[in-house]
Amino acid sequence: MLSPERLSLPGPEYLAQRHVLTYMEDAVSQLLENREDVSQYGIARFFTEYFNSVQQGTHILFREFSFVQATPHNRASFLRTFWRCFRTVGKNGDLLTAQEYHCLLQLLCPDFPMELTQKAARIVLMDDAMDCLMSFSDFLFAFQIQFYYSEFLESVAAIYQDLLAGKNPNTVIVPTSSSGQHRQRQPPNDCNPLEGVEASLFYQCLESLCDRSKYSCPPSALVKEMLSSVQRMTFYGFLMALAKDQGINRALGALPDKGDLFLDPAMDQEIEKLVAHVSGLSVSGPASSSADTANMPARNSPRINSPWKPLHHRRKMDAESEGSNEETDSSEN
Amino acid sequence: MAAQKLPARAEVWSKMAAYEKRRAAAAPVPAGGSGLPEPGRAAPGGGGPTEGSAAEGSAAEFLLRAGVTAMVREALLKVLEARPAEPVSFLAEYFERLVLAEAAAEPPGPPQRLARALWYVCLAHHSHRTAFDSNAGAAYEVLGCGGRRRAAGVDGRLYSELLRRICQRGAAPAEAAAELLRRVRCRDHEAVPFDVFRYGVLTCCVLLEFAAKADALFAVLGAGDSADSRLCQAVLRALEDALGAGHGPRPGRYLEAGSRLGPDRLALAMDQALQERKLGSSMSREEFLRKATALFIAKVKPVE
Repeated sequence: MLSPERLSLPGPEYLAQRHVLTYMEDAVSQLLENREDVSQYGIARFFTEYFNSVQQGTHILFREFSFVQATPHNRASFLRTFWRCFRTVGKNGDLLTAQEYHCLLQLLCPDFPMELTQKAARIVLMDDAMDCLMSFSDFLFAFQIQFYYSEFLESVAAIYQDLLAGKNPNTVIVPTSSSGQHRQRQPPNDCNPLEGVEASLFYQCLESLCDRSKYSCPPSALVKEMLSSVQRMTFYGFLMALAKDQGINRALGALPDKGDLFLDPAMDQEIEKLVAHVSGLSVSGPASSSADTANMPARNSPRINSPWKPLHHRRKMDAESEGSNEETDSSEN
Repeated sequence: MAAQKLPARAEVWSKMAAYEKRRAAAAPVPAGGSGLPEPGRAAPGGGGPTEGSAAEGSAAEFLLRAGVTAMVREALLKVLEARPAEPVSFLAEYFERLVLAEAAAEPPGPPQRLARALWYVCLAHHSHRTAFDSNAGAAYEVLGCGGRRRAAGVDGRLYSELLRRICQRGAAPAEAAAELLRRVRCRDHEAVPFDVFRYGVLTCCVLLEFAAKADALFAVLGAGDSADSRLCQAVLRALEDALGAGHGPRPGRYLEAGSRLGPDRLALAMDQALQERKLGSSMSREEFLRKATALFIAKVKPVE
């Protein structure tokens, strides 16, 4: 109800903690970009709509990546939007490659970095066979962990490396995301008969990391639970466990439980209507109007508008052209 | 108006100013190094920015001219005063109010004035006393400015209505609210001076919080909607003792009340209550809340 800590913080710290200035600055720069329209429309009204859309989480649509990842709220909003826009993919049971998921992400955020998508795919595939197909929900929950806890995971990778190398974890200086870059992501998977690192030691390091980190960390009680039930833990085993943990998903609050991922009666109805309408005209015409009108850009409509039409012909095509990269793929849309 | 009060705010402004500089990097307009300039100062021929006219697209100048700077400053001030847990929704609501206020060009009728006054009063928590006082002042002004010819002032009717609406926002039992209103009310056609107004408003806000805390206390004592009546009685007695404690100077009285309500004392009282081998009847949430708030109301000094 009343958080005394909030009330006693110095002003700038309070504003920073709640990212007030991030949004205020963004609002002002958006206002400047549209200053002609805004002058007629009314400045107070512009601010009202801006903050309403931040509240609803629609403010990250089609924005640059640096803004999309700027605050935890933005990240959660992006995850939610991604889920809402593309859940029909999962409902259909379609399996897509990392490359294809990346294209979906880029529909919402044009400069979304491939690196993040790949990292998420590594969690699903346990760092193996990167061109494999993944189900929507597997990818979504792994992507959620990777995207929302990005900085935390960088530090975890570094800690893991140090533990593997047998360094004393208590003297480990947790690197910032930039200094962690050079030595992460090479956990040797099978050079050791005892795979991974000792779970309790790993937890101790993570706990102190969470205490110090200024970035979002998963609730340490849940991490503790996860690590106390096993003797040893590998890096990707840990990430996979994070991704599968519904408690962490709930604490994060962006996505529903795994079982409810595809429950959306309103959307179903809408799509039924639309399919009935479209099949009356011509199937999967690119000019058909979008189903999720609130959130979808017109250009991805062919993809979600025909949810009953399997996408495997696309997949085959991608699989055949081995060197297909994101340019060629996104140009198809 | 209150921009000079907190040194912390200066940093916010310098950040804003730095931001404006960044935006205006193309056109070298010094966007107010010392605090933010008033919107009026942007007029050509003002102190510093003479090059502003050359770079007609200057962002900083646009912001000043269009009143964005002033609006943003005012909004951030309100955020800092109120420290809401959800600043984004706070700001959305704040700007929406501004839109409504702008839309209502003619002097607003009593319902709008009441709504605006209520909004002001609830902007900041009452423990943030400076912010609360300044908001209460704003509410008083808004409420009193509706006259056709001149400032009409706040009469007893508007004042009572505002208090009634404040009380409706919380979980205080209706009897308690009614009794409180009886104690602090003024006659309908009486002009209400600001100190009475502030006292009434503040008391209502404190009552709401007291009721919320009592409710939380009850949740600890019992399960669901009933709790052991012996426990409740013991706690209520302790509360009564604490509220009635001491006659010395104020800080001492506060400390004494606090110590009487410390966990050890409360635990002792509750333990003793449970030792009495009476038949354990139960007390409902409503009854507990009613008794607890009655203790508070009894301490409210009536307005004469």
